[in-house]
Amino acid sequence: MFKNIVLLLLIFGFCNFADAQTTSTALKEETNIYERVYDAPLQVVGQESATFDELYAQRPVILALIFTRCTGICNPFLVKLKESLQFKDGDDSFRVMVLSFDPRDNLSDMHRLAQNLGLEENEQWAFAITDSISELTQSVGFDPVWDSARRQFDHDALLVGINREGYITKKLIGLRERGDLDLLTGSINNVFVPTYRLQNQNMLFSCFNYDPVTGKNKPGLGLIFLALPAVLTASLLISISILVRRSRR
Amino acid sequence: MESIKLKKITSVWIIAVLTLFVASIVLGILMRLNQGGVLHQAPITFYSNMTIHGITMIGIWFVAGMAGINYLMERYVKTSYTANLIALILTVSGVLMLWAVTLIGKFHTAWTFLYPLPLRVMWAQWATPTFLVAMSILATGWLIWGISMMTQVLKVYSIPQVFAWQHFKKDPAVKTPPFILISMITLVGVVTCLLVAVLLMALYFAEYFSKGNFVNDALLMKNLTYFFGHTIANEMLYLGLAVIYELFSEVGGKPKWKTTWYVALAWNFTLIFILTAFFHHLYMDFVQPEGFQIAGQIASYLASLPAAAVTVFSVWVAVYRVKIKWTLTNLLFFVGVAGWVIGGFGAVIDATISNNIVLHNTQWVPAHFHTYNILGNVLFSLGFFYWFSIQFTDKRVSEKLSRLILSLLIIGGAGFLLAFYIGGADSIPRRFSNYPAEFTTARPLANIGAVFATVYLIPILILFYNISKRCLKILFSSS
Amino acid sequence: MQQSSILLLFLFLMGIALIVFIYIFMSSKRADQGMSNPLKKRFWFFLILTIIMGIFASVTIPKSPYFAFADKTPAKVIHVAAMQFSFFLSEKAIDRDKPSGQKIELPANEVIEFRVTSFDVNHGFAIYDKSNRLITQTQAMPGYVNRLRYKFKEPGEYNILCLEYCGVAHQLMRSSFIVK
Repeated sequence: MFKNIVLLLLIFGFCNFADAQTTSTALKEETNIYERVYDAPLQVVGQESATFDELYAQRPVILALIFTRCTGICNPFLVKLKESLQFKDGDDSFRVMVLSFDPRDNLSDMHRLAQNLGLEENEQWAFAITDSISELTQSVGFDPVWDSARRQFDHDALLVGINREGYITKKLIGLRERGDLDLLTGSINNVFVPTYRLQNQNMLFSCFNYDPVTGKNKPGLGLIFLALPAVLTASLLISISILVRRSRR
Repeated sequence: MESIKLKKITSVWIIAVLTLFVASIVLGILMRLNQGGVLHQAPITFYSNMTIHGITMIGIWFVAGMAGINYLMERYVKTSYTANLIALILTVSGVLMLWAVTLIGKFHTAWTFLYPLPLRVMWAQWATPTFLVAMSILATGWLIWGISMMTQVLKVYSIPQVFAWQHFKKDPAVKTPPFILISMITLVGVVTCLLVAVLLMALYFAEYFSKGNFVNDALLMKNLTYFFGHTIANEMLYLGLAVIYELFSEVGGKPKWKTTWYVALAWNFTLIFILTAFFHHLYMDFVQPEGFQIAGQIASYLASLPAAAVTVFSVWVAVYRVKIKWTLTNLLFFVGVAGWVIGGFGAVIDATISNNIVLHNTQWVPAHFHTYNILGNVLFSLGFFYWFSIQFTDKRVSEKLSRLILSLLIIGGAGFLLAFYIGGADSIPRRFSNYPAEFTTARPLANIGAVFATVYLIPILILFYNISKRCLKILFSSS
Repeated sequence: MQQSSILLLFLFLMGIALIVFIYIFMSSKRADQGMSNPLKKRFWFFLILTIIMGIFASVTIPKSPYFAFADKTPAKVIHVAAMQFSFFLSEKAIDRDKPSGQKIELPANEVIEFRVTSFDVNHGFAIYDKSNRLITQTQAMPGYVNRLRYKFKEPGEYNILCLEYCGVAHQLMRSSFIVK
């Protein structure tokens, strides 16, 4: 019974950490999966024009939708993305396509952006504009809203994963950690994970945490709970044995 | 003086188990009749009955096994009467609470109370906390009993001896009786899964009292639930086997079985693998990593194979071309071993992942576990009950009546089970109060099941009368 | 059908077990010296059993469903949210706060991915074909999404039943979709 109480106290202690997140972005991320991305003609900084399907046929694509005049999320979003992808330098299993959805942006705007980010020479990154903005944004479920007062778009920080066949395999919304990006690069390379977790779940006592880099599950706190009773029994057995032996002597 | 007390308390256990057994069989028959369309219960009544049917059956055959090994253990070591009594009192209180919770409170989560069902109150408000308290009381009582028996054994045998490790070498100085080996292996499993139950209850209480601030992880809770549920259901069978190892040859008038290296090895295997076999309950949860699923399949095979092979072969050797004094006790044991093996085939088939995808939660599941319960474990315990009850009287069940009892048990059991197996192969879901119209065979099968279950109930009633009468005599005798 | 062969296998094994047990029981009536060389026979018995089980395991484990069609891009993804006591099926992600579903039509002979979750308790998601056979299933666990891939060969209506006990109307919890 005493053990029971201790455990209870322990758990109540943990309660403070257990918080819930919102579901809405998770929900948006689930749209357009396995739909084909619109085959838009692209003008790429420093390269010949190409169509989208020529690009993803070479390498799976992580599409980041931004506009250069953004005073809001676009810049931190790209900086964070660059930072998170640093460790994948030289990895040719994907390409990041930074594409403007603002008709005002031209190639030199994009060129400047690449320079500012220090990604001009980076093989992994491409900066592009297109004439078919609305078809493309529609095909990936991206709906920026023009705010004429601020002369800015209200929009999500959206990453779209597109595999070699041009299908959308995964979407990420917001500034995301390395783990999520690993899931994204995994999915565009058709790495199948039979399950995933919803964002709003309390993950404190989860048994397994999937690591997309290795493709393996790392044990979580929950797994300790599963092993604990067997360990307790074993120690019980040993301590009883020692105690009864001692009392006999 | 002590042994009289033990005799009496064992009698109380036996009477209690048999009474609850009859009541739960009746609930089971009512369930099958409702599924067959003969009765028209409200679904809530059906599911409440189903819940208490399951909990009671698991509980009584577990305590039957425990009472059995406690009684026989007295031959080797001194057991604690107090622990036995505490377990009895706590079991009775827990069971009474559970019957109230389900029949009055209409609590209906099924006996597996899969998280978060108990917390989504669809019954009387008091039922959920009472259920959790009742389960904690049962777990506590049984833990005390199990740990006490472990302690008593360890007073006489060291740890390597209780697990018979010295038998891996030639000519060991100390011989571990098979009964002690199997009891101890089983008790370790029992204590482990009861600790799991305590942990599970603690997590439930935490969420219940936190009023939404603390939410459990569904996967962890499911793992814990089946760690407890599967393991206790499995261990109770091994408690019955310990009794067989002790009594089978004795009743037949033959020398006692000895522990050998392969018996020791087989049961040590069981000790390890039985604690991971429960993973097969989560085959259809793709969220459990594949490695665990495959480990689950292998552990399920390895948990059953060595123990079954060694035990079955021992029984065969003991019987094959050997003049045996057949009595109702060892006949029940013999039939029980056959039933256990057949149920084991059903279990191994279901514990195979690629089969499980079309069998999981169909009637194949109740089919196989009812097989090694009603034609396996129950017969082991009934054999023990009968052996216990006739020890102190001269009057036995006549050979004719024995034959009738066995025939009815086998016919009733086989018909009842086949209805389930065929239902499972017909993809009929388990735990449905009524069947959708497209399952054309479901209703007739349910009614056939009910009829055969009634046939099975007849010999149980005969034994109930016969054994309880004697046990009452033991209880009220002065010596 | 897989189920029929499973039942046949079981009945076959049961028959063998019955024959052996009855034979051994009968032999005790014409008793002599008992089994000769039981130790040696036990060894063979054990070895044969282990080999059979080993073969059975190595044949069946690769057929485990977790990575079925893992290297394919599915033609369609269907989101499934289970709630006491109904299923929502949709081609779009399903909002927990205002869940809604739609009528589902799927192409035959294409890989379909179901993303199955639950918004309350554990449920089952079992697909039955036209002849009412259970063909595949997964669990719907709150907080987790299970991805079940399947290729439907036969056109027609497929039923979905909940196969994890979820409460008082569990037996009524169902849905369906059409394969064309």
